[in-house]
Amino acid sequence: MTQIALTGTPGTGKTTVADLVEAQLDVEVLHLNDAIREADLFAERDVERDSLVADLDAVESWVQAETADDGKTLVESHLSHLLAVDRVIVLRCHPEELKPRLRERGESEASVAENAESEALDVILAEAVERHGEDDVWEIDTTDRSPEAVADDVKAAVESEIPPRVGVVDFIEYL
Amino acid sequence: MSESETTRDKWGIAHVHASFNNTLITVTDMTGAETIVKSSGGAVVKQNRDEASPYAAMQMAESVAEDIKAAGIEGLHVRVRGPGGNGNKSPGPGAQATIRALARAGLEIGRIEDVTPIPHDGTRAPKNSRL
Ligand SMILES: Nc1ncnc2c1ncn2[C@@H]1O[C@H](COP(=O)(O)OP(=O)(O)O)[C@@H](O)[C@H]1O
Ligand SMILES: [Mg+2]
Repeated sequence: MTQIALTGTPGTGKTTVADLVEAQLDVEVLHLNDAIREADLFAERDVERDSLVADLDAVESWVQAETADDGKTLVESHLSHLLAVDRVIVLRCHPEELKPRLRERGESEASVAENAESEALDVILAEAVERHGEDDVWEIDTTDRSPEAVADDVKAAVESEIPPRVGVVDFIEYL
Repeated sequence: MSESETTRDKWGIAHVHASFNNTLITVTDMTGAETIVKSSGGAVVKQNRDEASPYAAMQMAESVAEDIKAAGIEGLHVRVRGPGGNGNKSPGPGAQATIRALARAGLEIGRIEDVTPIPHDGTRAPKNSRL
């Protein structure tokens, strides 16, 4: 059994790409955003950010219970790199491209701004590397690329056809 | 001008942005409205991030410190944004190196605040999930 996190700042295309990969590879996909809401895997609410604050121990137990004994599981969420997964795929997107993606989805301007700033600061990449080490992290830039092209890279990372790589983008000039 | 106003004019806010690959410092007045100094960024030598990043950040902080002092600023409150900013072992270039370099250059360091943004989309991680 292999557990793979598909993470990245909201709007980088995780859910879109996970659906493409699920249709093309023999992997099981777990969407944590739905699970946190529906299986009550949260400890409190962040009213300011209109978000449920995940209970990571509860999420971890839920993922373990849902994971099959054999095969590959892709855990899709911007929290998935915080779990005890075997490897991590981090989707990236230039903040100026991320913002319209989030706006079109109807997020508030405050959320758009905070997520864009998180992406510019590599918050999720840094957390992933801090927890899992550079040898288990695959960073994939989605800027100016189609979901299909990104899905091909994700499949290659899942199948170990490309080596791990981090530090491929630098978005700090956005700030 | 009263004495307290004179003193306040000598303080600024250092906004330290510490990403995985890079560090950026902007120094503003106390209102945050006026930018006094903006650094060009301490990009990391990719081949050896562990050693290069705090070193690059430190070098940048040293040159920024000269500009800040030339502008008459004597003390800085620090706002750190970034995964390298929470004072622990981190792959970021380390805001700590930046702050130490500013202090070593003779600037007084006041309050240090961590204002790192939190990714969210209807769910978010708990604050203590950062190691
Ligand atoms: N590679 C891409 N290029 C352009 N738009 C994309 C891409 N991937 C996703 N999108 C769009 O961006 C928005 C966010 O995608 P989504 O998959 O929901 O991201 P996430 O799950 O990471 O928050 C959606 O409207 C989606 O159609
Ligand atoms: Mg999603």
